[in-house]
Amino acid sequence: MNTAAISQGVEQLRKRALSGGGFAMYPGGDFRADATAWAVMVFAALGVHAELIEPARQRLAAVQLEDGRVSISPEHPSPYWPTPLALLAWQGAPAHQEARRRAAAFLLATTGRQWGGKPQSVAGHDLDLQGWSWRSDTSAWAEPTALAMMALEAAGYGDHPRLAEARRLLLDRQLPDGGWNYGNTTVFGKVLNPMPESTGLVLNALSHQVPRDAVAKSIAYLEGRLPGLLTPWSLGWAILGLSAWGARPAGAPAATQACVARQERFPVYDTSSLALILLASRAAGGLASVFRS
Amino acid sequence: MSVSRREFLLACAGGLVVGASGYFLWKEARIRRWQERTFIGKAPDYGADLRTVILAGLRELGVTEKDLRGKRVLLKPNLVETMPGAVHINTHPLVVRGAVEAFLSLGAARVAVGEGPGHASDTLRILAESGLMEVLGEDRIPFFDLNRQSGYGVANAGRCSSLKSLTLPVCLKDFDFIVSLAKLKTHHWAGVTLSMKNLFGLMPGSFYGWPKNYLHWAGINPCILDITATVWPHFAIVDGIVGMEGDGPIMGEPKPVGVLVMGRNLPAVDATCTRIMGIDPHRVVSLSYAEGWLGPIRETGIRQVGESIALVRTPFRLIEEIPAQRALMPG
Repeated sequence: MNTAAISQGVEQLRKRALSGGGFAMYPGGDFRADATAWAVMVFAALGVHAELIEPARQRLAAVQLEDGRVSISPEHPSPYWPTPLALLAWQGAPAHQEARRRAAAFLLATTGRQWGGKPQSVAGHDLDLQGWSWRSDTSAWAEPTALAMMALEAAGYGDHPRLAEARRLLLDRQLPDGGWNYGNTTVFGKVLNPMPESTGLVLNALSHQVPRDAVAKSIAYLEGRLPGLLTPWSLGWAILGLSAWGARPAGAPAATQACVARQERFPVYDTSSLALILLASRAAGGLASVFRS
Repeated sequence: MSVSRREFLLACAGGLVVGASGYFLWKEARIRRWQERTFIGKAPDYGADLRTVILAGLRELGVTEKDLRGKRVLLKPNLVETMPGAVHINTHPLVVRGAVEAFLSLGAARVAVGEGPGHASDTLRILAESGLMEVLGEDRIPFFDLNRQSGYGVANAGRCSSLKSLTLPVCLKDFDFIVSLAKLKTHHWAGVTLSMKNLFGLMPGSFYGWPKNYLHWAGINPCILDITATVWPHFAIVDGIVGMEGDGPIMGEPKPVGVLVMGRNLPAVDATCTRIMGIDPHRVVSLSYAEGWLGPIRETGIRQVGESIALVRTPFRLIEEIPAQRALMPG
């Protein structure tokens, strides 16, 4: 086993820290809220580089907008999907209690664009269920809905009706043979393909929320898909998704280490992907387990 | 001198008629004047010498070392999803390799590949599973995940949709020759997806989402025109060696055509592609609006070089139940 690879990955993340707090998505890049939140989660979960965590949390708080959202960049307020990531990054930080409250309030007041009861013959799922979108004025999709659910659950809003409806949305978007993609089931009568990264993320969000039978086919799909996965985002979410349901693969430590080491053959990993595979190397109970502890 | 309300309204109406007539005459004259060339090269399968085919096309289209020497070239393939054994979904890696080699041999200082797939949030997985990563790794060609890039705003030069500005990936600033390296496919929302629709993949998912649903709400066809008018790529190559018919862009069936279609003007290239597919380009909404504004689509406005359309025409199956495809059917 190559545990040195994990240390190397952590070191790569550290080097992406910016002098004013926060992290870049790629080496030499500018501040990105999503990259920053992921880096904070890794360092907090692994208990390393504590000196970088608070400046990063402060930078996230500094870019939070008046209404509570944290967008992809202050110049682009519409893509609000990093808000749940910031909420998770502030988890366990009393100094950021107010920022957390405002972020949660924003999410609870925000929905994807509704279909408004129009005929839905083209799509095979309910377009009126409320979840979360990637940006304002668009439909709700599986991945931002799952992220928002996890963040709100960790922030203590697990019993909120919005989460109950989001659970219904995610189950409604589950593919007939198991798995999720970005959030379409059938279009023009054809069943679409599942994707491992979407499936792993949604399984994280639904753990402890729905009976195992409700997602058994998706767990089976992901177990079958896992051996072929090489890249950090898919492999990371797949391992975390299975771990969240007590099905953590025996080879998870070796697989995550090999994935970090594989960077020499791939284009440079972005900060979010690198952070996710590092989290997958540790979070034996899925991503949410990091925040429960 | 006093003017009655009736006289004023008549004068306004007359002005409008004259203005509208002038505009249509101007547009018609522009359509008649605009001439472009497109190249059709035959390649029976992906084992063919694609570099040579692409170089022949570049030569026929007048793209020379003078155009490319020292230029930084970005190739934008169409990577959507992967399925084992499927060659009809994504731009084939060997077409990308052929283009890389052709542009480098004409003196490009740098050739890189960039893509932001519309469905999968893991671009690297699509890159690896499509086989493209292996090819790029062997040739040491850099790849940019456009979905994860930071963005910069530019004014929407098209203004067909309501979007005032578009957000493009920052790495685009590092290139001065953009190539849309598309796939010959039908599409269940846009009718067809060719070199213009392929440009949706330039728009970063971090800003537009997965899928890039914001552009759908703003109107697929207006956004196709907006992105084309704003980015204005320098060249297009469409992989029609094996295309896709039916329920494209993912769930359709393979359609071997055995061609690469190339040109400097994207609407002209796409119009030629649709004719090969047995579709009247005037029935494709984005192309009909592009005519005379972004390029020519009439046969008289496009000089075909290489193979003739008649020789390679291979009608694609369209699905009547899909409105965007039903609109392409004759009659």
